Amino acid sequence: MANSNGWGDGASNNNIGWGKGADNAIGWGSIQADSWAGATDIVGTPAVDPDAQAFITAAAITDPTQQSAINTLVTNLKGYNIWTKMKALYPFVGGTSSTHKFNLKDPRNLDAAFRLVFNGGWTHSSTGATPNGTNAYADTKLNPLLTLSQNSTHISFYSRTNTDGNTSDIGLKSTGSGYTMIQAKYSNVFTAHVNEFYVFADHSSNTNGQGFYVGNRTGASVRNNWKNGSKVHTSSSPSQTQANFNFFVGALNNAGPASAYSNRQCAFASIGDGLTDAESANFYTAVQAFQTTLNRNV
Amino acid sequence: MIQVGLLTEVQKDELQGQWYAPDSYFNPIQDVNDNWIISQEEMQQNVNPSFDWVRDLPLIPYEPKPTPPPFK
Repeated sequence: MANSNGWGDGASNNNIGWGKGADNAIGWGSIQADSWAGATDIVGTPAVDPDAQAFITAAAITDPTQQSAINTLVTNLKGYNIWTKMKALYPFVGGTSSTHKFNLKDPRNLDAAFRLVFNGGWTHSSTGATPNGTNAYADTKLNPLLTLSQNSTHISFYSRTNTDGNTSDIGLKSTGSGYTMIQAKYSNVFTAHVNEFYVFADHSSNTNGQGFYVGNRTGASVRNNWKNGSKVHTSSSPSQTQANFNFFVGALNNAGPASAYSNRQCAFASIGDGLTDAESANFYTAVQAFQTTLNRNV
Repeated sequence: MIQVGLLTEVQKDELQGQWYAPDSYFNPIQDVNDNWIISQEEMQQNVNPSFDWVRDLPLIPYEPKPTPPPFK
C-alpha cells in the first residue's frame, strides 16, 4: 500500500519508490542503498555540496538558480580536480557588495579567508562587479609570497566588458618590478604575467576585451596565457621572487598603492596554484557553464 | 568627461579608511593637478551618516595622473 507521504513503501504496487517504510525518514538526498525497492535507480535531488552550502549560507544566497549554479560550479571544479588548487575563488554572485565579497573556497568574513574589501567606486549587480576605472579596486588580502609558489601560480579574470585600456584587471607588482597581472585588452593585445618582469611584447592579439582570461605559471621558465579555454600564448620568461603585497582586483597593487584602474566588469576571478593544460581547459568549461546558468556568459 | 567630487585636504583625511556602504570604503585619490577627489559612485552610494556631506561636493572633470610604468 502507498505511504501517507505518497512515495510508496516498496510493496508490489511500487517497484520504484523513494520511501523506506511506513515511517520513512529517508529524504530526497539519500543514497540508493537506502531505498526500499531494489531496482531503484532514481535517487532524488542531489545533496548540496558542503562547500557550496557554506558559501550559500555565508553570502545569504536565496535565489534557487544562483544556488544551483554555485553547487554545480563547486562539483565541477572538484570533478576536474581543480578545487584543491584554488586559494581564492570569487564568483561575484548575489548582486551586492555583501555577497560579492566572499571567497567560495573559504567563505568566512575574514581577511585571513581572503574576503574582498571594496575600495572606491564600484557598481554591483546580478551580472558582476564593475569598477569605475577611476579609483576602484578590491583588496583580496591574499599575499602570494605567503600563499603561493613562485613557479606554480595562476590568476584568472572573467571580463564582461569590451574596452581597451592601459589598466590591470587583477594583479600586483613587487618592489623589484616583478609582476603578476592580467591586462585583458590594451592596444588590441591580451597580456598576462606571473612572477616575472613586464615585457609588453610578450603578449597575444586580442580584439575583444570580453572573455575568461588566465595567466598561468607551471615552471621556472614556463608561463602560458589562456582565453576562453584556449592557450593563446606561451612564454619562457624566467620567474622572479613573488611580490610581498596583496592581489588587487580591478586595478594593480603597485607595490602598495593602487594604480592602473580598470573599468571592466568582473563576473569571476581566481588565484591559485598553476594549472595543467587540461585543467586550464576544464576550468573554462566549469566557469562558462556557471556564467551560462546565470545568463551572464559572454 | 567623467565628473568627480572635489575634496579639501581636511575632507580627504576624514574619509580615508572610512566606509561609505557595506563592505565598501572611500578611496580619495589625486588627479593630475593634485586635487583630492572621490568618485560619484562613492558620493551617491554613501549611507554612512557621518559623511552625508559628500553628496554635496562640487563636481569637477576628472583628469587622471599618468599611469605609472610599465603601463605607459
